[in-house]
Amino acid sequence: MNLDLPSILAQTASLLLMAPLLSGLIKNWKAKLQNRRGPRIWQPYFDVAKFLRKDMVISEHASWIFSATPYVVFLTALSAGLMVPMITARAPMSLFGGALALVGLLALGRFFLALGGLDPASAFGGMGSSREMTLSAIAEPAMMLAIFTVAIAAGSTNLSQIVLASQGPHWKFLDPSHALAFAAMFIVLLAETGRIPVDNPATHLELTMIHEAMLLEYSGRYLALIEWGASIKQLVLISLLANIFFPVGLAAEATPVAFGLGLLFFAAKLVVLAGAVVLVETTNAKLRLFRVPDLLSAAFILATLALVSTFLF
Amino acid sequence: MNPPTSESAAHVITLLASLMLVLQLLLVVQRMLVANIRVFAFQSLVLAAIAAVVGYAYEAPHVYVVAALTLAGKVLFLPWWLERLVRQIKIEQEIDAFVNMPASMLICGALTLLAYIVARPITSLERLGNNTLAVAIALMLIGFFLMINRRKAITQVLALLTMENGVMLAAIALTTYGMPLVVEIGIFFHVVIAVMVLGILVFRIRETFASMDVSKLNELKW
Repeated sequence: MNLDLPSILAQTASLLLMAPLLSGLIKNWKAKLQNRRGPRIWQPYFDVAKFLRKDMVISEHASWIFSATPYVVFLTALSAGLMVPMITARAPMSLFGGALALVGLLALGRFFLALGGLDPASAFGGMGSSREMTLSAIAEPAMMLAIFTVAIAAGSTNLSQIVLASQGPHWKFLDPSHALAFAAMFIVLLAETGRIPVDNPATHLELTMIHEAMLLEYSGRYLALIEWGASIKQLVLISLLANIFFPVGLAAEATPVAFGLGLLFFAAKLVVLAGAVVLVETTNAKLRLFRVPDLLSAAFILATLALVSTFLF
Repeated sequence: MNPPTSESAAHVITLLASLMLVLQLLLVVQRMLVANIRVFAFQSLVLAAIAAVVGYAYEAPHVYVVAALTLAGKVLFLPWWLERLVRQIKIEQEIDAFVNMPASMLICGALTLLAYIVARPITSLERLGNNTLAVAIALMLIGFFLMINRRKAITQVLALLTMENGVMLAAIALTTYGMPLVVEIGIFFHVVIAVMVLGILVFRIRETFASMDVSKLNELKW
């Protein structure tokens, strides 16, 4: 399998373009469900465009880490996205690594974001960084175990291989262990994208914010990159969840028909999962910070059970 | 009985059974009393769905009756009754447990594993979904743990009900055709009556001790 430039370009473009749309969709639906009119679904594009035009205010105490962080966050999310099969079963950069590289890249982005929060030495930034690290210490193992559950059934940690194996005849579609892993992964998705039971994406209330606290010092182009990177990360995680647990309709060969069908199925899966996220966000209240580890440890136990039950049967 | 139907039916049953397990674990995590009751209602709904699938796939019409009874009793009536009870006695919403949440989650994980290990020698013999017995045992064990772990009488009633869900799951899914209808109806009414009696008892405990904390019942021993 060699590097296929058109598919890399296509997937990069679709990641860049679809990510803000998905964020906008979730925001809009959430508003609708709460009887508000809500922003238009393409509002995030305007936000990013506006941030890119604005000047930046950078603290005089900030070092190079502060300026490097937005690029690292953006690029790690993007390259992690290239490893996930989205429309076709073969991800463009699956050669470079599978589930482990994906988790590692996301962790690298998070590490730099936490450093970027600490760097200007504002009180809130450090608070946000410490919270983010505390939570991700539990969320990350849960995510890895959930992916491993599927990887064991497929015999490979390469995400493209997993998806290809799951289209094969021997695949037990929605095994019980997959149900457990899916539940774990969904909780991790909520935590990683800063959704409501864990973090509130719509607030700057200092007592509750986690992700936003790290971004407080950022403005202008850097903020645009970080926000865009965060929405790409969200798209990556949702498509990971969609495609390794429900690998229906992924284009196996490179014909226009299969491709169109793959796009259609992918859009449908994204819409369903985004709807689920919106429902969870609207029906739940934000957890107290000290209760969040409880939720995440539940995800961890679920993922562990899923992994162990694949060995027992 | 044609194999493809029963095979896919077994698959669906296993999947639904594991959904019941996920909901049971959710009960352990969930601290809000009313949310607990609703999770239990949803779990019973899944149980009713399993019964319906068994009835359809193995052409056992009397299992439909079980499904209907579960739907009427455990999905609609008992949750309504329990929620009314909660409203009546105006208890505070949060459940307090003896063991803290992460630890009890670990214990429940261990109990589930135990159930899987215990069920393993038996599963090769049975025809229906091979995980179902393990899930049923796990439901019972976790229900038992919930009963021990929680302080308030009404949450213990809820734990008893989820244990009973596990028993019903084993009865419906493992014996293929379910138990004789009379036995099932007997169990069902037994549970409904038991819960109502327990509800009244909870009410009395609350009136006498001004609390539902069962550890206060030790004060009977003067």
